[in-house]
Amino acid sequence: MLLVLVALGACGGNVASGELQGAVVDAPRPKPSFTLTDTAGEPYRFAAETEDKLTLLYFGYLNCPDICPVHLAQIAEVFDRLPDVARDAAVVFVSVDPERDSPEEIRRFLDNFDSRFVGLTGTPSELDEAQRAAGVTPAVVEGEGDEYTVDHAGWVIAYSPDGQYRVNYPFGTRQSEWTNDLQILVTMDGS
Amino acid sequence: MLVLAGLVVSACGADAGGIVITDARLGLPTGPNAALYLTAANDGPSDRLLGVETDLAAAVEIHETVTDTDGTIAMHTVDALELAEGDTLVLEPGGLHLMLVDVVRLVVGDSVVVTLDWEKAGPMPIRAEVVDPSDTLFDDG
Repeated sequence: MLLVLVALGACGGNVASGELQGAVVDAPRPKPSFTLTDTAGEPYRFAAETEDKLTLLYFGYLNCPDICPVHLAQIAEVFDRLPDVARDAAVVFVSVDPERDSPEEIRRFLDNFDSRFVGLTGTPSELDEAQRAAGVTPAVVEGEGDEYTVDHAGWVIAYSPDGQYRVNYPFGTRQSEWTNDLQILVTMDGS
Repeated sequence: MLVLAGLVVSACGADAGGIVITDARLGLPTGPNAALYLTAANDGPSDRLLGVETDLAAAVEIHETVTDTDGTIAMHTVDALELAEGDTLVLEPGGLHLMLVDVVRLVVGDSVVVTLDWEKAGPMPIRAEVVDPSDTLFDDG
């Protein structure tokens, strides 16, 4: 596939290099189909709702103050720099802590970053199925009582608009890497 | 790129026993808990951070995020943090942090005070700025 080099002359820090800087997977895989519930209480069919969109998928939980908000804040900041990319993109956050994270709280959490970010929840078995479909090890609860933690996949999964999982972004990915890669991924639309 | 200036706290008690705190910052609370990060440099006797007191939260716990080889993230409670003479302790995203449990609502730009409880140096009030979560990371250009 021919990668188009996207140069945004107005903002000097937004020039894409032509090569993805995230963790490129060995072979692209199609976007998974799973259905969860969005923060309005409606069914959300992941593949259908994000069809033809650059899609970022992340599994996390609200009691985690260290990784989850930083990932989402970084993406929101990069989206501010790249409004043309953001317009046709979907960011989907799935809470893997249905015990504590209500749809209302997920919505309030995501609105700290970008009101366009989609929040999903589900039953434990639905969440398990969604994580497996996405190729991540399902989250595991650690500890007991009110302050248990949840071990979960720490990377953001990226699907290009042609519906392929091509690359993921572990914690610690720099905004410059996001900025570079999103401009490349958005051009991978199967044309 | 937002450049975060090092926050050197020179108020009474902030450098007790040879320990100097810099870059204290609290990620904007977006959920029930928030994470406070800082750097502690010690040119005095070895010491241990036993805990943290604040009116901003129901409790403060010392936590460490650990990333497994497969990328799975886990968070563990740590009882105390050792800081040997001549050493520097770095609390940063993805690693050690102070977790404020059931934290009050804050906004970016707020300045907050928490008290670090050192085994030998005793209580050390420090000031931290509330920043956007993306600004808790340094070298994030």
